[in-house]
Amino acid sequence: MKVFVKLYATLRKLAPPDNELGEFFEVEFNGATISDLIEQLGFTQEQARIVFVNDNQTSDLLSALRNGDRVVMFPPVGGG
Amino acid sequence: MSKILRINMSDLGHKWETLPKKYETLAGRAFTSAVIHNEVDPTCHPLREKNKFIISPGLLAGTMAPSSGRLSVGGKSPLTGGIKEANAGGLTATRLGYLGLQGVIIEGAPPVETKDWYSIYIGKDKCEVKKTSDYAGIGLYELIGKIWKDYPSKPGIIGCGIAGQRLHKGAGVFGNNVENTDPGRYAGRGGLGAVLGSKRIIAIISDASDGSRPEAKDKDRFEKGRKAFKKALDNHALTGRLNNEKGEPYGALKNYGTNVLQNILNEAGALPTRGFRTGRFEDAAKISGEAVHDLIDKTRKRFGDKAEGKYGHACHPGCVIACSNVVPYEKTGKAQVSPLEYETAWAFGTNLGIGVLHDVAEMNRICNDLGLDTIEAGNAIAMFMESGLIDFGDGPAAIELLMKGYHPESAKGALVCSGALTAGETLGVSRIPVVKGQALPAYDPRPIRGIGVTYATTTMGADHTAGYTIAAEIVGIKGTVTDPKAIDKAELSRTFQATTAYIDSTGYCLFIAFCVLDDDSGFGGMLDTVNGFLGKDIDVGEYGMAILKNERAFNKGAGFTAKDDRLPEFFYTEPFPPHNVVFEVSDEELDAVYKDM
Ligand code: SF4
Repeated sequence: MKVFVKLYATLRKLAPPDNELGEFFEVEFNGATISDLIEQLGFTQEQARIVFVNDNQTSDLLSALRNGDRVVMFPPVGGG
Repeated sequence: MSKILRINMSDLGHKWETLPKKYETLAGRAFTSAVIHNEVDPTCHPLREKNKFIISPGLLAGTMAPSSGRLSVGGKSPLTGGIKEANAGGLTATRLGYLGLQGVIIEGAPPVETKDWYSIYIGKDKCEVKKTSDYAGIGLYELIGKIWKDYPSKPGIIGCGIAGQRLHKGAGVFGNNVENTDPGRYAGRGGLGAVLGSKRIIAIISDASDGSRPEAKDKDRFEKGRKAFKKALDNHALTGRLNNEKGEPYGALKNYGTNVLQNILNEAGALPTRGFRTGRFEDAAKISGEAVHDLIDKTRKRFGDKAEGKYGHACHPGCVIACSNVVPYEKTGKAQVSPLEYETAWAFGTNLGIGVLHDVAEMNRICNDLGLDTIEAGNAIAMFMESGLIDFGDGPAAIELLMKGYHPESAKGALVCSGALTAGETLGVSRIPVVKGQALPAYDPRPIRGIGVTYATTTMGADHTAGYTIAAEIVGIKGTVTDPKAIDKAELSRTFQATTAYIDSTGYCLFIAFCVLDDDSGFGGMLDTVNGFLGKDIDVGEYGMAILKNERAFNKGAGFTAKDDRLPEFFYTEPFPPHNVVFEVSDEELDAVYKDM
């Protein structure tokens, strides 16, 4: 299936080089769950601290993704 | 620390006082709020002689504890009419720590007809109130340069700019940065710059020559705690070192600064856009911390040694987190402003619909020069946009408006310097985002309810730092996120408000919280530094609550009631896209935060 992924902050190094900051890139996804996607992209669950699927924040990394889902991931970030 | 310096601006005299026993463990916000509670009439006019301006370095300021050199300033706020503590980095806290001063209390005021301006010089057992009328009416970049020429010992400087000298309620207290290249270390909120102006003070100059590093009572415990704490901070992905073993970016704050939040709040749909209308800004990425990081790298490549842009910049000596930055001009690589923080990038960017990094940084620079709080100024400009006088998204018009702040005869300039409430009411706006007269910062309270509870109930007026529930509601603690839309947030906000009051007193930067909430060894290390320094154990929660108690009592005396602990009406009635929610927390839940106070 195809999913659309956005990566920010320290995770951006794993996005394709021509990917603009703040834009989705397409991923041909062979797995089933968010944690599979994290593995396929090449980082650890610990690094994907904040995850949004289709605009909603989720902490259940074992939930299944569907074709066309939009997944946004951040490492631990904060400030103020 | 063992002394208090009391300065009377009515007769320009001063005296040194030994620290009363009741203040022995009180520093930073605990000190400023206790003195205000004990000595200032809550009904007094904030810009006359009965108000006091209190300065206190955090407990550990000047010690080797990491990121512990923060300064508190306090007084009755001309913006809110209630108690105020504002907090900043810079040089002054560590300098005062070296001088053994727990606090400086400035009271009285010269006669109203006076035309003179003063500065206060504080050195080792030395204090002078000097007439320095030549410091008045000039921009703060020029002023700090002048002062370091007059005082080659590289002193810490805090004070007020043109906005404070004209007694405008949006005026912050500036501080020079470590390099003295920017007056951007602001204790910005609540109009305390105007309190200094009302006392005819431009600058307070702290010279630590001949001073010495403050010593812990229990040195072993302090040292053990310091090492454990530093290790925890360095290893946390948020507060940690610049690069990992592979040389890739690691610590989020060091690489992207606080403005790393711009994209995350945008993705969360909670980023207040164009005057709190929607939760997403299409240009958020362009003004985000990542964009600043890229710009710095780009100008470094292009201009080499001449490039002045920086991330991983420390706001005070000894900060290991170093979330500050220097934003360069793209065309020259020279410094435009330092720092550009999340709240400011939001206030002048997202909040105004402006997605041009240069324009946003320029407004930050103008505020630093004029002596204005950026959050208040950004919200004041938003009121001009709400009223239709200028368009959302028009960067050049917003800059032009802010520049009017320099001109004493400009009514628009005076309005922009007077805060969102005064500007909004004058311009006939009904959507004015303030609590207790102070403008809201960069998190919308409709989709994130805990921060809304903090905005509504804190003694400070709308202030995210007073109880930063975002740490639980977005970032998550030990991997667990508290549902941001849940409405039972009284307990969460109360705990955060008390803990924050404690941190604001230790000298530690609030951003250590991300690490200590996640990592028990960091938390233990932090406690060991504080308790080792004092030579006795203090309870975090009790200490924090005692501060809040003083502040609540002062505000009650000033006339605040439960109706002041509410958000503006439109947050309860206007659904906020994309989540299309309103603020649903009940009045009972809000009142539960301070049920016993
Ligand atoms: S983390 Fe940032 S704001 Fe806090 S003390 Fe360090 S540089 Fe200053």
